[in-house]
Amino acid sequence: MKKKILSAVLSAAMVASMLVGCGAQPAATQEAAADTKAEASTDAAAPAASSEGGNKLTVFAWDPNFNIPALEAAAADYKANGHDDFELEIIVQSGSSDVESAVTLAGSSGDYSNLPDIVLFQDHWIQKYHRDYPDAFVSLEGADVNWSDFGAEKISYSTIDGQHYGMPVDNGTAIFAYRTDILAECGYTMADVTGITWDRFTEIGEEVYAKTGKHLLSMDGDGNDLIYLMLQAEGESQWKDGVPTLVGNPKVVSICEKIVDMAKKNVLYLANDWSDYTDQTIIGDMVAGVCNGNWIIPTMEQVADNSGKWEITTMPTLDGHEGYASNGGSSLYITANCKNTDLAKDFLAKTFGSSSQTYDESLLKGGVIGCYIPAGQSDVYQQGVDFFNGQAIYSTIVEMGGHVPTIEQSDYHYTLRTYMAAAIINARDGADLMTELQAAEDQTKFEIGG
Amino acid sequence: MNNKKVSVLAKQHRAGWIYLMPATLLLAVMSFWPMVNAFLMSLKTGSSANMQWNNPIINNYLRMQQDKLFIRSIGNTFLYLIIQVPIMLVVAMLLAQLLNNKDLRFKGLFRTCVFLPCATSLVSYSLIFKSMFATNGLINALLVNIGILKEPMNFLGVPSTAKVVIILALLWRWTGYNMVFFLAGLQGIDYGVYEAAKIDGASSWQIFWDITVPLLMPTIVMTGIMSINGTLQLFDESVNLTNGGPANSTITMSHYIYNASFGTGTKNFGYAAAMSFVIFIMVAVLSAISMKAGDKRD
Repeated sequence: MKKKILSAVLSAAMVASMLVGCGAQPAATQEAAADTKAEASTDAAAPAASSEGGNKLTVFAWDPNFNIPALEAAAADYKANGHDDFELEIIVQSGSSDVESAVTLAGSSGDYSNLPDIVLFQDHWIQKYHRDYPDAFVSLEGADVNWSDFGAEKISYSTIDGQHYGMPVDNGTAIFAYRTDILAECGYTMADVTGITWDRFTEIGEEVYAKTGKHLLSMDGDGNDLIYLMLQAEGESQWKDGVPTLVGNPKVVSICEKIVDMAKKNVLYLANDWSDYTDQTIIGDMVAGVCNGNWIIPTMEQVADNSGKWEITTMPTLDGHEGYASNGGSSLYITANCKNTDLAKDFLAKTFGSSSQTYDESLLKGGVIGCYIPAGQSDVYQQGVDFFNGQAIYSTIVEMGGHVPTIEQSDYHYTLRTYMAAAIINARDGADLMTELQAAEDQTKFEIGG
Repeated sequence: MNNKKVSVLAKQHRAGWIYLMPATLLLAVMSFWPMVNAFLMSLKTGSSANMQWNNPIINNYLRMQQDKLFIRSIGNTFLYLIIQVPIMLVVAMLLAQLLNNKDLRFKGLFRTCVFLPCATSLVSYSLIFKSMFATNGLINALLVNIGILKEPMNFLGVPSTAKVVIILALLWRWTGYNMVFFLAGLQGIDYGVYEAAKIDGASSWQIFWDITVPLLMPTIVMTGIMSINGTLQLFDESVNLTNGGPANSTITMSHYIYNASFGTGTKNFGYAAAMSFVIFIMVAVLSAISMKAGDKRD
């Protein structure tokens, strides 16, 4: 009898643990939701999207120091301007790849019910995801937005078949920041590094490294964005009609040669991975220059000791004109699971679509610089930033954003980036660059072929 | 034949089947059904929302032969396998031999110390190794301070040293785990056998080689198969320690499959499924070979 009771207890325990195991998944999203400062729902079984006809929207977003404050600013703005009962529930994700996985999962199963009303999505990925899961996103057509108020390059990512799908949030305009104190030590000023050729840049970099031991530039060697940035500054793409064209494009070859040359001469430091790039080279104070999308600024600002020593300018180019480029960034997209599309469109149009108020607050609270050109005229954007020696970097960045050339993009942007990064590292370590570029081209073509 | 007896037997059979049923059902639903589906998926192509049959049907398997990166990932994985598994098993056996010594004091403490790495999670130990071998990490600081290196070396940024770091990490993590199996095996050997050998004048080497190793053979085969299997599926170290880099020189098969399905790659689930099936066949073949080689009973 005792044994029977024991076995009954054991099997009950087993069943219970299985149930708990199954029930644990919604709880995980719940925890993530609880992290946000915005109101999080407490009902574990609540669907991710809001119900029909209400005044509430849900959104997936990442980065509590950057995107989340911008969304909070937008929600406050919308609420203050005639939508008192509006509520935006921000469900914080740990990174952009979580949102991508959520869309992949929903798209693969054909069940969109776990998606929120709106997702923040990476610009370089959206075309691919839209092609793979055509039903996942709802077009923004009909929203009251003047699209010509935005930087054309940014909008080109979220425009699919002539229709606007995404509402831009940030602005990926590249900055080239230099440490003025280190330049001065070597006898240079900001004017000496503005509008120069990469060859001249390399000369200055060699001198800086010899005198101060600091690299003039660093980049994540694994996900090397520098190639893309440098090419965009030339108005050139690695793609020709959807085909990766590296060896056959003299500009690509010469850009890669410059990068390899800089890496060999210690002008450019290629970090092992992304955290190595941010934590070791930038926060670890190994570099005298940073070139990336302006979202890198909060990382730079973590070194409080260097406040006032940085200034920004444009990128060098092959022939010495001032280079403008853009890298990364994301936009907001309405998902197929949104039952309040009119509300969602109105919310996006009246905040990120037309309100300087939203952009001012986003900038103040999260350091988010938009690509809404009229916002660049507001007082907030004109103010000098102490960290950058009083330079009015925000209006400068918005202004620079207007010059970024639109170049051919591809769904396979990150695939090619990975293989080109490998080519650069191998060439730095002594392999033949042309062979390596050919291999990168072949491997990318191979993946596209599948 | 006695009718009653048959029915008792049948009853027992039925009881047996009923006992087996829950586990069998779970295994079928949770393991075999996904395997069958994965195989079907490996014959398809396209986005996961709208998969099409390949033309020819085995196209994913044919493509694989032209995939230089997949071939490289196989090469990397086998390099880890060939270098790491023998070193690990030999070290584990020697450690087990040492710790099996009857006169050794604080045996429990030493055994715990050697086994402890297995209690750490794969991700956290990978991250610890990563920070230890970083350019500004512990190892570099040590080597520079005692004068072996002039300036810090980027261990994880150079293909050859990055591979060495991965192998070191694997050794640290798994040697103790295998040692426990050898210890259990050694404890199953009657001490009298060793005494007899000693009386007959056998050297320690002879005792080890002619008595311990043959008697441990079943354990060696088992740890061998487990290690081969585990190494072929190596994932965490590749992802967390080096992220496959530099320039994909340390990427493993599982890591590449992950990239092809969820990672930075092109979300090609059909191709990823096909690659996993190839690994599955490799594991099966290698296990069969080592089972055959280790089984000398007949």
